[in-house]
Amino acid sequence: MSLIFFFYLFIILIYLAIGAAIIFHMLYYRINRHVATIMFFIYVIGGILLLTLNYSFYRAVNWYGVFSGTGF
Amino acid sequence: MFEEIKFPGQHENEKIILFLRRHWFIFLMRILLILISIVALVVIYVFFNSVNSNFRESAYYNLFLFGESLATLFIWNFFFILWLDYYLDAWIVTNERVINIEQRGFFTRKISELKLTKIQDVTSEIIGVIPTLFNYGNIHVQTAGEQEHFVFLQIPDPNYVKSVIVELQEKERLSEEKELGEIIRGNNKSGLSP
Repeated sequence: MSLIFFFYLFIILIYLAIGAAIIFHMLYYRINRHVATIMFFIYVIGGILLLTLNYSFYRAVNWYGVFSGTGF
Repeated sequence: MFEEIKFPGQHENEKIILFLRRHWFIFLMRILLILISIVALVVIYVFFNSVNSNFRESAYYNLFLFGESLATLFIWNFFFILWLDYYLDAWIVTNERVINIEQRGFFTRKISELKLTKIQDVTSEIIGVIPTLFNYGNIHVQTAGEQEHFVFLQIPDPNYVKSVIVELQEKERLSEEKELGEIIRGNNKSGLSP
């Protein structure tokens, strides 16, 4: 299942790279400090929650069962 | 009123008169894409549940939830990309100049400015049924010669904004003329006195 793990890691790295670009733009180019700070916290807290949830779903999947069923 | 707002290259005594972004309706239209994606995820979930009553017990259920959660992750990012695009596009009218901050995607950012005294012509336009209903439209700010042509896109109440710019431009022009007159008079005095 390591191949699946690396594929998952690759997708998460893409997500994190986009996230880093969003945070950079939010904080570096901020026009209104108050709005930028609030949106930053919403983004980060929401992102962490969704990422944790996604990882727990990843762990819950029986990858061996899924792929042996399809003939992989 | 705009104390919280800071923009790059702001002068010390520069006063922000107007701070403009696209109309909220434009942002709402973009958000509609996000809403459609979320509804699609819910519809797919309901569809699979109704088609297969044992879906929750199947080996693919967790895989399905994993896929939906992964899609949600990217929708979350997409929402913030749309918000940033809306938030970082701005037009600022100060007592000295007009500034256009334009963000295109992540890696293209354009900031241009125009001195109020350089403005020659300001035109506002509201085209279409929805812009007329919500009172939003474009403003074209024309300068002399080959200089940059400014366009304020889809901003709320363009007629009011136009009148403010014209008023500020007139005020700035008069003060510049007064200043110039004082300089000339000052020079003449010094020239006449023995």
